[in-house]
Amino acid sequence: MTIKSINGCIGCEECVKSCPCDVIRIDPDSGKAVIAYPADCQICHLCRMYCPVDAIEMAPEKSIPVVVPWG
Amino acid sequence: MTTQNHSAGPTRRAFLALSAATAGLASLGMEAWAENRVAIDVDAMSNSDLSTDVLVIGGGMAGLFAAVKAHDAGAATMIVSKGRLGSSGLTPFGKGFFVFDPETETGTIDDFVETVSRSALGTNNPVYTRQVAEHSLDRARELRDWGFFDQTLANRPFMRPIDERGIPLMERVVITHLIKEDGRIAGAAGFRLDAGETVTVRARSVILCTGAGGFKPNGFPVCDLTHDGTVMAYEIGAKVTGKEWNDGHSTRSVNPAACFDSWGDMFERVPATNGVDVHHDLGVDINYRAYVTGNPVEGGPGAPQPTEEIEGGPYVPQEFQHSGPPGGGGAPGKGGAPGKGGAPGGPPPGFSAGSNVGGASAGMAIHKSEGLVPMDARCASNIPGLYAAGDALGSHMAGGIYTQVGSSLAGSAVQGAIAGEAAAEYARSVDAPTIPEARIAGIRNEILAPLRREAGYGPAWVTQTLQGIMIPNFVLYIKKGSMMQAALAYIEELRDHHAPMLRAADMHELRLAHETRNMILSAEMKLRASLMRTESRCSHYRLDYPEPDDENWRAWINIYKGADGSMQLEKQPFGTWPA
Amino acid sequence: MKPTARMSAIIAGLVIFLGLPLVFYALGEAPRRSILKEAFSILTLLAFSLMIGQFFLARSNEALLSLFKPPQIQKVHKYIAYSAVAVILLHPVLIVLPRAFEGGVTPWGAFLTMITTLDSLGILLGIAGWILLLVLVVTAYFRTPLMKRFTQRYRGWRYFHGGLAVAVTSLGLWHAIELGRHTDIAISAFYVSLTLVGFALLARLYLRAHPNKPRMSPVSEGAAS
Repeated sequence: MTIKSINGCIGCEECVKSCPCDVIRIDPDSGKAVIAYPADCQICHLCRMYCPVDAIEMAPEKSIPVVVPWG
Repeated sequence: MTTQNHSAGPTRRAFLALSAATAGLASLGMEAWAENRVAIDVDAMSNSDLSTDVLVIGGGMAGLFAAVKAHDAGAATMIVSKGRLGSSGLTPFGKGFFVFDPETETGTIDDFVETVSRSALGTNNPVYTRQVAEHSLDRARELRDWGFFDQTLANRPFMRPIDERGIPLMERVVITHLIKEDGRIAGAAGFRLDAGETVTVRARSVILCTGAGGFKPNGFPVCDLTHDGTVMAYEIGAKVTGKEWNDGHSTRSVNPAACFDSWGDMFERVPATNGVDVHHDLGVDINYRAYVTGNPVEGGPGAPQPTEEIEGGPYVPQEFQHSGPPGGGGAPGKGGAPGKGGAPGGPPPGFSAGSNVGGASAGMAIHKSEGLVPMDARCASNIPGLYAAGDALGSHMAGGIYTQVGSSLAGSAVQGAIAGEAAAEYARSVDAPTIPEARIAGIRNEILAPLRREAGYGPAWVTQTLQGIMIPNFVLYIKKGSMMQAALAYIEELRDHHAPMLRAADMHELRLAHETRNMILSAEMKLRASLMRTESRCSHYRLDYPEPDDENWRAWINIYKGADGSMQLEKQPFGTWPA
Repeated sequence: MKPTARMSAIIAGLVIFLGLPLVFYALGEAPRRSILKEAFSILTLLAFSLMIGQFFLARSNEALLSLFKPPQIQKVHKYIAYSAVAVILLHPVLIVLPRAFEGGVTPWGAFLTMITTLDSLGILLGIAGWILLLVLVVTAYFRTPLMKRFTQRYRGWRYFHGGLAVAVTSLGLWHAIELGRHTDIAISAFYVSLTLVGFALLARLYLRAHPNKPRMSPVSEGAAS
């Protein structure tokens, strides 16, 4: 799931700008942030830390199996 | 999947956007070759054409200082970054900043440089090692004035000097091409993430502050860095070095991709400075242990030292052997956390013992070791007018191994400032470049090509395939000639038959397509350099050549594009500048 | 009879204005955070429903007037004004305050970003509502001297106060539905219904009112503070 949900977004775009991986975008109709590309989330929490209203919920799991050197 | 909890029901367009995101998710790892459902009118895309004296590409620590110092030296300066100033690349996560303060240090700068050189087994460039010690205090003072050491997030403190100087800043613009005219740098080109628009910038001088990169690995916050600067500079003839070294950070074996969770509270810390503290932190030693004894490795970072001794493995000089945890000893000193460059595999605060897996930063070399070959002490590349600083410059400041704790962030600041001044000086000496329209049109076509393909390979699928080839412990870390040849055959296949056929349906995927292609080239560089270096030294470990070979290998490996377009490699003896 | 009815009225009030919002909060899907943050969330939700409750603690609520003496109601109305309204006025600060205890954006930085996001309808509504609420509070505090300035004295004041309350509640409700972390469909519907009933009571009072003949003397009656 990585970045999991956004509740109480005010549409300030801080998360969109501060996400290094371009995971979040503003929905043009609602003016609020949506998780547009969750598979590219690197779970670094910058969006959550930049959000002024603490709207972002994170989870440690990725939605797809990940490649690591051994397992 | 539901990605947002709104009280209002989704509108039709929002629903379509969500469906598109879901489709995008489905393509990850699932869809390989598929029809390209392009969401934008490519032919209607505009181009914004800008010009400046000095163009800084990248918005991390190096980019900040490059822009500030180029501006202060009198050059019209512009920053372009694919992310946000202070919130992309590795800068947001580095919390330790090395400062050599003569008032508190017991040794001299000479002592410091010699200690680093001993730990680095000669792989460091002592000119750059000395430079970080000489300038770090001044850079730390400036950062302190801007409020960098007062908060967790770097954007606002970084914006202060940029706002004060009115330096133009373009964020969320992905630069994909450097432009060379008449044998010197002439500008760069790329595209916006938020609009269907390409961007060209004509510049007298360009400073690459694009960081290093990895293979979008899991467990290290480097997924936005894909060696973009290195690859675009390579394409116009720049020399590249340091590709055989390996960063050795590890992550947890449960939820390995959760880098925030693995790093404990480190990402939430306020940055701090630290003094001289030289290590020989390998990281690859836990990869060797896993290779020999099986896995998962109990006793990764933060865990107690494993009791049984393992025969062989990477060489650590006697002076730097420690009794601390493997790959560690990089425990935070007083005054804060280790820097990103401080302690590979070193236990970040709050990192609990348990089973761990190496290769969290797969694809990345040691900070400051990989990147453009410096021609002098002022960050110049072999392309006139093209400079690089920080992790985009192969300065070998620390060597092919992590030596000084916290020197990574400090090195980026120091080199950024020096490159900024050098680029401004160069820009004064040359006329504004002229770039033929046909050339710009050709580059725009190359940039937008993945959007124009009616069908093609999904960049996420190609990336995952690349990871499957490169990331296994027995390929990237515990190296052997035969295995690397096999991997190289796969990578050449990706290079020749997949990179040219990457598709992109929107601007986000267009970025992924270019990043994927850059990672493929970087993988080829890593394999070829690792094959060439027939010895083991620092973070480069070969099972078939396990010892350091001082007779033949007191040399760096430089990579450049040959006249026929093939990848060429050459040696450059330690302690010398390129011929 | 009357004590039982009074007790029932009090219990009904507590259930509707405190109990139900808590139930909606508990059933809501917004992810739980630290105890401090959740406490602030609950506090704000309850303060908002108590603010809607003010419409029911006024002379518009004839059922209540038949059970309690107007000064009693006025007293409760006043206490809620001091407590709940203070929470509502402070809630922008309550949202950013916990950031002082964790890494990330600073409370002041968060606050600045929040109140300068002026392209957000929800933020504009919130700022407008906040200013009007402040006006409501200040004018209510100085109502005695203020009343003398209205041509119709008490009646004029009452229209002013009621009208302002309707405006503040409408803006606040819209703002909460637009931006609230916990205002999902269920709790929004609940707040909207409650508000509409409150507005209806007020409207009934105003429409019925005889222009020249207040039934009781203005100062002692009603819970219009």
